[in-house]
Amino acid sequence: MGGLAYKHLQTLIKSFDLVEHTYEVNIELEQILSYLKDSETGQRGYLISKDTRFLESFFSGREKTNNSFARLKELTKKDERQQQKLRDLTVLIDKNLNYFDETFKYSKNDNLDSKEFDALLLAGKKTMDNIRLEINQMINHNNNLLRIRKLDNERSITNTPIIIYSVLIIALLLLLFTYSKINNDIKNLQTKNLQLEIFKESTNQSEIVSKHGTWNWFIEENKFSYSDNLYRLLGEQPQSFEPTIENFMQFVHPEDVDKLKKQVEKMMEKQDLPFIYYRIVQKNGSIRHFKAYGKVLTDNEENRRLIGTTADITDEIENYRLLEERNLELERNNKELSSFNHVASHDLQEPLRKIQTFISRLEDKESENLSERGNLYLERIKTSSTRMRLLIDDLLQFSRTNKSEEILEETNMNIILENAKQELAETILEKNAIITSDTIPTLTVIPFQLQQLFINLIGNSLKYSKKEVAPNIRISYEKVDAKNVKKIKKKKFNFYHKITFEDNGIGFDEEYAEKIFVLFSRLHNKNEYSGTGIGLSICKKIVDNHQGFIFAIGKPNIGSIFEVYLPFN
Amino acid sequence: MQHKDVFIILADDDEDDRLFFEDAFEELKIDTKVSTFKDGLELMNYLTQEDSILPNILFLDLNMPKKSGIECLTEIKKINRLKDIAIAIYSTSASEEDIENTFVLGANVYIKKPNDFKKLKKVLSNVVTINWQYHTSGLNKDNFLLRL
Repeated sequence: MGGLAYKHLQTLIKSFDLVEHTYEVNIELEQILSYLKDSETGQRGYLISKDTRFLESFFSGREKTNNSFARLKELTKKDERQQQKLRDLTVLIDKNLNYFDETFKYSKNDNLDSKEFDALLLAGKKTMDNIRLEINQMINHNNNLLRIRKLDNERSITNTPIIIYSVLIIALLLLLFTYSKINNDIKNLQTKNLQLEIFKESTNQSEIVSKHGTWNWFIEENKFSYSDNLYRLLGEQPQSFEPTIENFMQFVHPEDVDKLKKQVEKMMEKQDLPFIYYRIVQKNGSIRHFKAYGKVLTDNEENRRLIGTTADITDEIENYRLLEERNLELERNNKELSSFNHVASHDLQEPLRKIQTFISRLEDKESENLSERGNLYLERIKTSSTRMRLLIDDLLQFSRTNKSEEILEETNMNIILENAKQELAETILEKNAIITSDTIPTLTVIPFQLQQLFINLIGNSLKYSKKEVAPNIRISYEKVDAKNVKKIKKKKFNFYHKITFEDNGIGFDEEYAEKIFVLFSRLHNKNEYSGTGIGLSICKKIVDNHQGFIFAIGKPNIGSIFEVYLPFN
Repeated sequence: MQHKDVFIILADDDEDDRLFFEDAFEELKIDTKVSTFKDGLELMNYLTQEDSILPNILFLDLNMPKKSGIECLTEIKKINRLKDIAIAIYSTSASEEDIENTFVLGANVYIKKPNDFKKLKKVLSNVVTINWQYHTSGLNKDNFLLRL
């Protein structure tokens, strides 16, 4: 912009110069003419009066003419045409001066009336006329130039304000544009700064919450920077000592110093490294477990930086140790439980079986030898041992449903139901029970456990039937949306298979609906109904194993309903 | 010993069980001869004698000192002279594991010791009167365990 204005001004100045130059040339030309006239006048005066004072003006005119000529030559050196004219003029002027000199010779000899003198004078006059003509031509030419240059100059002058004005406007616009741009940039910068500030703060907080700290090692300069929280992890105030490797190493557990040093060296060489684990000792003596990771970054100027993160994993390790301890304890418990199972299945069953066999021997062979009371006692022993057998069998079954390694299989539930009925065939026949059921789809379950569930639920209905009414058991199936089942509190699945067992037995009071699933809980005296209080607990456990739910609904003297919900997937 | 008698051997370390076993056969009135051994080692010592009389049915308890029922079963099936003896496993427990193992090793039937003398007699009578050839050809895991 400035360049444009400068250039325009330069042109303007040049056009002024040109105009001035043209004027100068004109003046110079006029002067030459007037000096020549002076010389001529001087010559004439001398010729007439013989007074030598006229010669003075003649010579001075001549000299001035020469000076003027030299200036003119200098002024027009760039104009080839004027130079040419000037050369012509020189010839003419020389010629004229020659004539002057000649006339002086005649004047000295007083030969003024001679024909030659006349001719000389005439020739002088002619040359003088030619000079005038020549000069006039030059002046004309110059005037033409002047006119053109003036026009140029005027044009330049008229353009100048417009150009300067527009330059000003453009400059102003540019200024405005730059201003708004800078303003925008500043705003952006402020937003970015704010974001950075937020990011920094949240990084700080996350370091505190997740118990980790960060550090930078400018390898070339051997300078460190630690984040505030790294100091806290060491049990120190943020930035309370100079971050150097030596200062840090003072905290590292003596047994881990060598290990850590080696690992840091490795970090410098390798790109990716596994985590480093080491311990530190805080000033108060407490030992913390650290886990660290670091990576070398190289910037454009080949400066290397080791950027690392260190986390305090003491709590994790502590938790892990606790968990491991508990696992061991659980394992021990499990072992004890399974050895208890063994004891129950083998060692307890064996003497019991023998007691029962001996009782049956006594009954068969010796009952006539016993008194009535003796026979009653024998009967009581038999009842008790039968009950003991029942308990042992049920307990074994309960512990068997513990097994978590049972594998889920696609199972035809109708076959499972048939098997369950088969198992209970004797009682069904004995009680004239009627069992009806819907078709149940194939489910993914632990088959042995589901069969046990069916046996226990149907067996339950058979057992708690009314004495005078034949049991009627209805098994129905439907797919339900978990949203529609308010009883299901923690819905893990969207849909459930619902299998309902409904009977016309003695039912139970609604207040026991939950209690009946508790191990060893019984609603009836064992003399009335031969339960162990384990059967329904087994049902609950089996349904739990399948991530399902079981609910009981009872109406005294009307019947019971058991609803089993198994996940639909 | 008469030739038509069914010769039965029981190997069981439990004295009471041996008593029940012998009493049951006594009461069954089937022409049987019953020999009992009190552990696996004694049983194998007898069976491996070249001139031993081989039983028609061998009842084998699983839990025995010195040599267990499983060990006896494994050995018997390896000896040509003995491998065709009908073997009935006679045990207190009926765990899936034991049933599976003895079935795979080639036992013919699995009996869970009953807790009633009448039932015991019934089981033993059933086993002795089984047509072994027929039973063995149709043997599978489901009918391996004798149910009453």
